[in-house]
Amino acid sequence: MTARIFFDAFAALAIVFAGIMVVTRHPVRSVLSLVVSFVGLAASYVTLGAPFIGVLQVIVYAGAILVLFLFVLMLLNLDRPPAERGGRPVQAFLGGLGAIVFAAMLLGALRGSGTALPAAAPVPPDPLSLGEPASLARVLFGEYLLHFEAISVLLLAALVGAFVLARRESRV
Amino acid sequence: MIHGIPLSDVLLASAALFSIGIAGALLRRNAIQIFLSIELMMNAANLALIGYGAALGTPEGQIIVFFVIAIAAAEASVGLAIFVALFRHTETIDVNKITLLKW
Repeated sequence: MTARIFFDAFAALAIVFAGIMVVTRHPVRSVLSLVVSFVGLAASYVTLGAPFIGVLQVIVYAGAILVLFLFVLMLLNLDRPPAERGGRPVQAFLGGLGAIVFAAMLLGALRGSGTALPAAAPVPPDPLSLGEPASLARVLFGEYLLHFEAISVLLLAALVGAFVLARRESRV
Repeated sequence: MIHGIPLSDVLLASAALFSIGIAGALLRRNAIQIFLSIELMMNAANLALIGYGAALGTPEGQIIVFFVIAIAAAEASVGLAIFVALFRHTETIDVNKITLLKW
């Protein structure tokens, strides 16, 4: 029962700060509240028995990716006042309507058979040991070794791509 | 149930985060904020994957989340490089003012 209280608290933290991220017009505030939201998500991963993924979430997502966002925001020097309200009321109305309809669809799916699990789900004796780095690595470097190597190639390609895209093109 | 946490709680939180992400992607006009909303939607999907993986007792949920985080890192670096290049050309990242591909 305590696990549920902790999970709900951390998930609520993540949801509240995600809301702040969407509502604010200031990009830096947006990034910082998303950092808090992702730390809350990482904590809820830990309560769900995935401590390794939780640590990865803090280091890679909240640490590296969002700091990269902050770097780019500082680089672009967008310190002008945020864009004025209005301008495209029809667009804003349709966007809000679309988001609400989507949320209603998700809720409808959840109220249906969304949470029903396959009957013969093989639950291991100790589900908490699933998230241990050792048992995760055994699967990752065994069954999914090829995918892991493909990811390293993808990261290399992204590195080259980011370098080419962000380069000054005066001498090309 | 995942040692006391009902799966419906996990899925509800995931649905809420994903809907907030959809709203942000549709309503914001700053390209960086749209990109952040997309990251949020990815994390909502990750939460659902971890919840199902824990409920089913398989490591595959966490493995997929591991791959998603790696792909998100690659995607963020390329996407931000595109924004930097775009800002050099147009001096703005307001998606309503970027009309390069509009006839």
